[in-house]
Amino acid sequence: MSALLLAAAAEEEEHNPLIPEWPEIVLALVVLGILFLLVRKFVVPAFEKAYAERTAAIEGGIEDAQQAQKEAQAALEKYTAQLAEARHEAAQIREEAKEQGAQIIVELRAQAQAEAERITSTAHAQVEAERSQVLAQLKSEVGSLATDLAGRIVGESLEDEARQKRTVERFIAELEGSAN
Amino acid sequence: MTLASTLAAASGPPEPGPGSFLLPPAFSIGGWEVNKPEIFLTLSAVIAFGLVYAMARKSAVVPSRLQFAGELVYDFVRNGIARDNIGSKDYAKYVPYLFSVFLFVLINNFYGVFPGIQFPSMSKFAFPVALALVTWLIYNIAGIAQHGVFGYLKHQTVPAGAKGPILIALVPLEFLSNIIVRPFTLALRLFATMFAGHLLILLFSLGAAYLVTDYANSAVGIPAGILSFVIGIGVSFLDMLIMFLQAYVFTLLTAMYIGTAISDEH
Amino acid sequence: MEGSIATVGLGLAAIGPAIAVGLIFAAYVTGVARQPEAQSRLQGIAIFGFVLAEQFFIISLALAFVFGYN
Repeated sequence: MSALLLAAAAEEEEHNPLIPEWPEIVLALVVLGILFLLVRKFVVPAFEKAYAERTAAIEGGIEDAQQAQKEAQAALEKYTAQLAEARHEAAQIREEAKEQGAQIIVELRAQAQAEAERITSTAHAQVEAERSQVLAQLKSEVGSLATDLAGRIVGESLEDEARQKRTVERFIAELEGSAN
Repeated sequence: MTLASTLAAASGPPEPGPGSFLLPPAFSIGGWEVNKPEIFLTLSAVIAFGLVYAMARKSAVVPSRLQFAGELVYDFVRNGIARDNIGSKDYAKYVPYLFSVFLFVLINNFYGVFPGIQFPSMSKFAFPVALALVTWLIYNIAGIAQHGVFGYLKHQTVPAGAKGPILIALVPLEFLSNIIVRPFTLALRLFATMFAGHLLILLFSLGAAYLVTDYANSAVGIPAGILSFVIGIGVSFLDMLIMFLQAYVFTLLTAMYIGTAISDEH
Repeated sequence: MEGSIATVGLGLAAIGPAIAVGLIFAAYVTGVARQPEAQSRLQGIAIFGFVLAEQFFIISLALAFVFGYN
């Protein structure tokens, strides 16, 4: 121990700390070189990989979000389109129904009118037939009736057959004229 | 070791000086005596690689706590030092060297306050010299590869906008400061701060031990010794700040030198 | 008294860089106080200035060893 100390003390006199010992320089170069190679081979690529992956993950996340947004947008558009279509369809159906209703009404009205007309015309015809029947009946009756009446009024039978006939006919004609 | 030997001597007040950095060899291989800083320097590479490899190994997208710590350091060197000073085009090439140099210097500096080691390897002048040599080679080779030999010399020695006879004065000066002085100051700065820091800690701790145990007047010696010990602790914390700062400065200057050597200006 | 006069020289040589370092960091603090967002940019510049100023002391430290060892 003391020999060592003495040696150190002796060296202390001549040792200048600014004089590097070349084996130490070589040692430091070798050690640093090995450290550098190891760091370059294993550490820096690992860190860079983590960086790159993180960047990719963030960018991927953004891309995914954009994709999702796009999809949502598309779905919304689709639904809006469908809704509009449905609305349009409903409107169309309503329109059609309205039209159809109107048509039905028109048809019904026409039908009813036709029916009414038919009934009216039938009625007319009947009435006409009845009237003409009654007229014919009347014509025949009125003659005898009138002569009867006249005979009763006059009190005597009208001798002049011709005259009698003329009077009756005039009467009937008057009757017809008033009837018309 | 130093503490014990000084205590063993115990004849007068301790005098920490350049001799305190001459450690007795731990063992010898074929006539080359291996001493403590050399062992720990080698160990530092193992520690540095082991730490960052454990941090980087998984390289997960969502980092674990360990990986997050590693990324903090890596990010500091990659973005804060390399990219800001070399430029975003070329920096990736130099990141491995800058990162390993930063780790290497940082760990070797922190040996100075690490219990049981307490000797900053970088206070042996040979180690910073080796690092500065590598940095010097890298930035000069990078510059020559970028501009060619003559172009690089012109790039480094002729300042932008300088014309005429003033160049006669400027060119040698610039050559001196950019090519010759740089590696020396780089090595000396790291060495000197570590050397001085270690010397300070040594002074206060050895002084404390001597004052408490061996000083003739113990009524003065013991309080003074305790005070010296407390100041030593404070100095240790200051030294830790400087240790980090020097590792940062060394890496920063390496990046700056590379950046100016390969820049396209003028 | 024994020792090296180089130590005194070293102490004298420390004055200049000490003032310079103080000025640099004073300017840095002022700059950051005025524009806190520029902190990261200023930091590098401040450290670089600090390094350049410190370099003179380091050179003198080396010279102290070189000339003080005779």
